[in-house]
Amino acid sequence: MSDLDQHLPAIAAGDAEAFAAWLAGAEPRIRLSLSRFAAHVDVEAVVQETLLRVWQVAPRFEPDGRANGLLRLGVRIARNQAISELRRRRVPVATTEALARAAEDSACLAVEPVEPDPALRAALNQCVEQLKGPPKRALAQRLGELPLRPDRELAERVGMSLNTFLQNVRRARKAVETCLARAGVRLAEVAR
Amino acid sequence: MSAERDALVEEVVSAWRPTGGEGGPRSHPAWHDLDASGRAEAYELSVRQRALEAALDPRGLSSTARAVLARIQGRREG
Repeated sequence: MSDLDQHLPAIAAGDAEAFAAWLAGAEPRIRLSLSRFAAHVDVEAVVQETLLRVWQVAPRFEPDGRANGLLRLGVRIARNQAISELRRRRVPVATTEALARAAEDSACLAVEPVEPDPALRAALNQCVEQLKGPPKRALAQRLGELPLRPDRELAERVGMSLNTFLQNVRRARKAVETCLARAGVRLAEVAR
Repeated sequence: MSAERDALVEEVVSAWRPTGGEGGPRSHPAWHDLDASGRAEAYELSVRQRALEAALDPRGLSSTARAVLARIQGRREG
């Protein structure tokens, strides 16, 4: 298991590239830690807000000697962010408390970063290469340059209605997953 | 599943989020139009979509990670 805290000194010094390296391993774990909240909060917004907060507090973070301390802090921040959002949205108190307890239990489990998988990358590149036509163009927009833009704007760029664009993004992902499955890779399992 | 619901789910899978009053990301407007099962489906798809994006990116970054880095960069430049 790698220790993402190897990037901590550079992150604390304001090095965005070091933070990028940390994000690559930490972001999936933080997202997965919020699975229980998915029906009640927009997890994507919570994840992004959490990561911004980690960047802000990293210069003051004191490691406790165990591996991946900043990632464990990120999981706690994410949980607290999600609970704050539940309260802001006036989700029933019993539901909020049950989710908070469950998330606390999950946070106590081992938190390990996601490791890069060169074999997956090679298989995925081959599958994306095989895409054709509108699904290929739609997915390319989603994977394109920053800043991220709303789908309505991306659809306009490729001359599609919003609904057609979204259908093509979905078709592209399904085609890629089917292609990966033929190569013996199940994306749903890789993502865990 | 209706085409309208599928479209809402797919919008929520995107990492784009509007910016709130304090400069941070806010919930996607389409997320509010989904029921609990639609929100859960969007979450599951986003887990797979981010894994796909990260595997394709030379630095292993998903669109979420890239969006966060862009916001950090924007704050510095702002």
